[in-house]
Amino acid sequence: MKHTKPYVPTDYAGKLAKTFLRNPLTIVLGIFLLSIGYLALMVMPREENPQMVVSGSTVIVALPGASAAEIQKVIVQPLERKMKEVKGVEHIYGRAMDNVGIITAAFYIGEKKEDSNLKVYDKIMQNLDILPAGAMNPIIKPLDIDIDIPIVSVAFFSKTQDMSTTELYDRVKKIQHHINGLDNVAVTQLKGGHKHQFNIEVDLNKLSAYNLSMGQITQAVQSLAYSVPAIKNTSKENTIVMLGVENAIESSKDIGNIIVAQYMGSPIHLSQVAKIDDSYDIQNFKSATISVKDETGKFTPMKEQVTLTVSKLQGTNAVLIADAVKKELEIYKEFLAQNGISYVITRNDGERANEAVNELVFHLLLSIVIIAILLVLVLGWRESLIVTFTVPAILAITLFIAYLTGQTINRITLFAFLLSLGLLVDAAIIVIENIHRHYHSIESIHETPDELMIKATDEIGPPTNIATLAIIMTMVPMAFVGQMMGQFMKPIPANVPVALIASLFVAYIFTPYLAVRMLKKPDHNEKGDH
Amino acid sequence: MFKKFENAVLSGIQSATQRKLILLGTLLAFILSIMMIAPTKMVLAKMLPGKNNDTFTIYIDLPEGSSISQTKEVSDCVVGFVQKESEVLDTEVFLGMGSPLDFAGLIKGSHFKNSENVAEIVLNLTKKHDREEPSYFMVQRMRPLILQSCTAIHKNTSISFVEPPAGPPVMAAIVAEVYGENADGIRALSNRVADVFENTKGLVDVDIMQDYIYDSYEIKVDTTKVSLSGVSIKQLNDILYLAFEGMQIAVKNSDKYNDQIPIHLSLSQESKQFTSKDINAVKYKLASLKLMNSMGMMIPITELVSVVPKKSNPMIMNKNLHQMTNVMAETDMVSQVYPLMEARNIILDTFSDTYKIEKIGLFNLELTDKQSGAIYKLIWDGEMEVTLDTFVELGAAFIAALVLIFLLMVIYYKSYTLSGIILLGSFLSIIGVIVGHWIMDLFTHDTFFLTATSLIGFIALIGISSRNSLLLIDFTKSLMHEKGMHKAEAIAFATSTRAKPIFLTAAAIILASTLLAGDAVFGGLGVSLIFGTIAAVIASLVIVPVLLYNADLEKHFHFHEKKAVSIFEP
Repeated sequence: MKHTKPYVPTDYAGKLAKTFLRNPLTIVLGIFLLSIGYLALMVMPREENPQMVVSGSTVIVALPGASAAEIQKVIVQPLERKMKEVKGVEHIYGRAMDNVGIITAAFYIGEKKEDSNLKVYDKIMQNLDILPAGAMNPIIKPLDIDIDIPIVSVAFFSKTQDMSTTELYDRVKKIQHHINGLDNVAVTQLKGGHKHQFNIEVDLNKLSAYNLSMGQITQAVQSLAYSVPAIKNTSKENTIVMLGVENAIESSKDIGNIIVAQYMGSPIHLSQVAKIDDSYDIQNFKSATISVKDETGKFTPMKEQVTLTVSKLQGTNAVLIADAVKKELEIYKEFLAQNGISYVITRNDGERANEAVNELVFHLLLSIVIIAILLVLVLGWRESLIVTFTVPAILAITLFIAYLTGQTINRITLFAFLLSLGLLVDAAIIVIENIHRHYHSIESIHETPDELMIKATDEIGPPTNIATLAIIMTMVPMAFVGQMMGQFMKPIPANVPVALIASLFVAYIFTPYLAVRMLKKPDHNEKGDH
Repeated sequence: MFKKFENAVLSGIQSATQRKLILLGTLLAFILSIMMIAPTKMVLAKMLPGKNNDTFTIYIDLPEGSSISQTKEVSDCVVGFVQKESEVLDTEVFLGMGSPLDFAGLIKGSHFKNSENVAEIVLNLTKKHDREEPSYFMVQRMRPLILQSCTAIHKNTSISFVEPPAGPPVMAAIVAEVYGENADGIRALSNRVADVFENTKGLVDVDIMQDYIYDSYEIKVDTTKVSLSGVSIKQLNDILYLAFEGMQIAVKNSDKYNDQIPIHLSLSQESKQFTSKDINAVKYKLASLKLMNSMGMMIPITELVSVVPKKSNPMIMNKNLHQMTNVMAETDMVSQVYPLMEARNIILDTFSDTYKIEKIGLFNLELTDKQSGAIYKLIWDGEMEVTLDTFVELGAAFIAALVLIFLLMVIYYKSYTLSGIILLGSFLSIIGVIVGHWIMDLFTHDTFFLTATSLIGFIALIGISSRNSLLLIDFTKSLMHEKGMHKAEAIAFATSTRAKPIFLTAAAIILASTLLAGDAVFGGLGVSLIFGTIAAVIASLVIVPVLLYNADLEKHFHFHEKKAVSIFEP
């Protein structure tokens, strides 16, 4: 600094080192980087698997009374041809069954969901005229991974055997509404359980005996089940008087009292020919049951259950939603217990995601510690400390950029970090090693530490830049791998290059900055053998 | 230590025999490692290995036309086995529908399940950290037991075990798509393919995606009689449906319940049941069902219709506008590549009795019926297809990476030879990758597969090892340029000086990857990085110096005017 003319850096490496070496803002920058990284780690949505953009739509057209072969010709084949016109469709699947035809258009992985859904909807709506006479309106169901796949499922079942299935369903339905109201919950659904229903089960033998037809019963019931809105009228004083007409049917007894026909002058009540129940939907063959292990380690007998499934909106945090659902359920625990209902959480993807993420974060930290120990052994503890500091700084930058680009923290992102961990300490190691070498060489005995830092950094700049660029180059083609696997692995080509570029900047800025303050210039009279 | 190494390198690269020995040895190692994959199958390839899960699902499929109570018998049988397991926490049975949708179910069409012949059983296990037996071993152990006792209850029952996939979900490990023009031919061929799958070792859960054809009856309406008797066909159809299936005929609004309460009308269970599956039983029951005509007269339904027996109409499936059927199979802890090849060979050998077989594409077959001349195609899909596509695409990405690095080096060094040396040095890390997988396979309990993640690791390695060679060449260049060292000395000095950072960065990568190596999915990546880095270090410290010495460095470094003349110690 005093006698020789200062070293003029030629590479970006040296220039960066020079700019930041004595800048008071460098430390602020370091703290800033670490804090935005921490912030990103906290607020980024966590998932177990990365989001895949899979789009597709299913079109269902019913034509009652048509056989599978007819459906194939008049519904499936014409619609398949129309689907072929849609751009971006990879496969078209058609299924023709008796009475109904189903056509599924699967788009290439990565095709935008909203666009794809709209394209299929558009195509079907434009071609409604090709559907045969008698066909019902087509039902178009888009596939939506986020909404279709629940992240939490809870099975409710009664602790006692005597609860009717409709009662269970009704209770759970009340809770469903509240859970659906939680933030970022997209869809809640109930599986299993039975709905309330009045059943009229006619005895065929009695029907013949009274010489009645099913049509007569239908008409009789329908004519009484009719209800009208309240009637409004005004009185002479111009006040409104409401007249409500009570529904004729209030209970199963009312239905039983319906007169279906006159036989030899005496009325025949419905209850005489049929059994009337206020029970559940008997025509629904579906059922869900559950058996859990009790305290003694034995399985309870299979019990009727109702499963509540919760799915989240795209890009939201599964962990937070799952926790919110759990908390909400705690509130109802009392209410449920009073009614003899208990529940088990049968799926919790939020918890699973959190576990996977925490495990990997732990692995990441462990790797950093192992590398630090290695460096202590080879380079010395001060050097090791410097390299170890660069790691969180690089990861912080990468995390923050991942957050800005709308990524989530998932298994693959963290694996990308683990993969890049081995690579991103390289730049710092190379810089610190060169500084170390220059510090300990006799030639540089007269140079100031500042000069030395800049020179050592500048020297290895070009090969390090090119080498890092080479690794980035290997990652670039990976971004173009298509299919499910390409989508699944996308976080690797998306994050590793960012981490590598960040590693260069951090190595050039912070390694000399820290080295000049932490390393001690050795006493060359002793001549250490390095 | 580094001085010794420097001398070794110096004498090594200057002796012609040693140079030859090193290059020959490298070539031999390269050929041997390639042999490990292709002919000897010492290292097996698979897209993604199994993952230890906390849950899995059992799908039960009875033949079409089975009733819900028949399905329940099978599910009860399965639950009986499941409840003997000590690691199962809870069991849920979903009869007549799919379980709450998951990734695997989405592709397998679980959400479309809505019939009496299907059921799904969801098992939740204890947390994987507290459980000794991985879920895939559990499935492997339970499968034969359950299949043996529970599929026997009703004929043609298929039970399959579905685990959450480690990576992207696929329909099945192996899917054979049978294309053809006529449904019967497709059915016959796909049944034969399924038979082959059943008898192939390593394949389980074989299923054909087709409806069974079962006996049914058709009610034929006599239109003349219907119009003469003063009833309408709609009335007739409605009554039949109302009687046996039941119908919602009215609703009642209620403030007490969450939904409108339907009023449902049907015949009572006891009075509508047929006494047997016989046609006379059907006719007898229909005779007691009457219609009222416009004159108020009662007409028995049997007066208006006739009942004839017929076969059910199976579902027709198309893919991309061609009629087809899927034959699917899962693999039992093995890679799908090898059973597929075995099954394909059996098909090639045994199907020639009725079909003329031609190979199309890579593995696909075209079969021509010798008698009718009908043409069928057998196309492989499923995980196999995805694996193939992924490996091909990753291979292309790998080649693209090589080309990009080569171009980058050419730009930097302005020499094809130097760029070639760097590329060759990095390519040699493949030896480490393959040998590493073989070593891991020796030490692990189950097969350690070469997976898609191994390939990703390998691609990353290209960059890493080219960095080593690059630092080496750069330093050699500056030594020759600035200090005027002789070629051999410069290479030796550069190699020994750069050995320390090369070892350090390699150690960092290896240590960081050891934790990866333990993971089911990313184990391949970890192993690739660990062993590939070791190979890369050897390549850049031993082979690259030899190759450098063989090259005319003065020319490639563009020292036209300034040739090294003097030799002095640094």
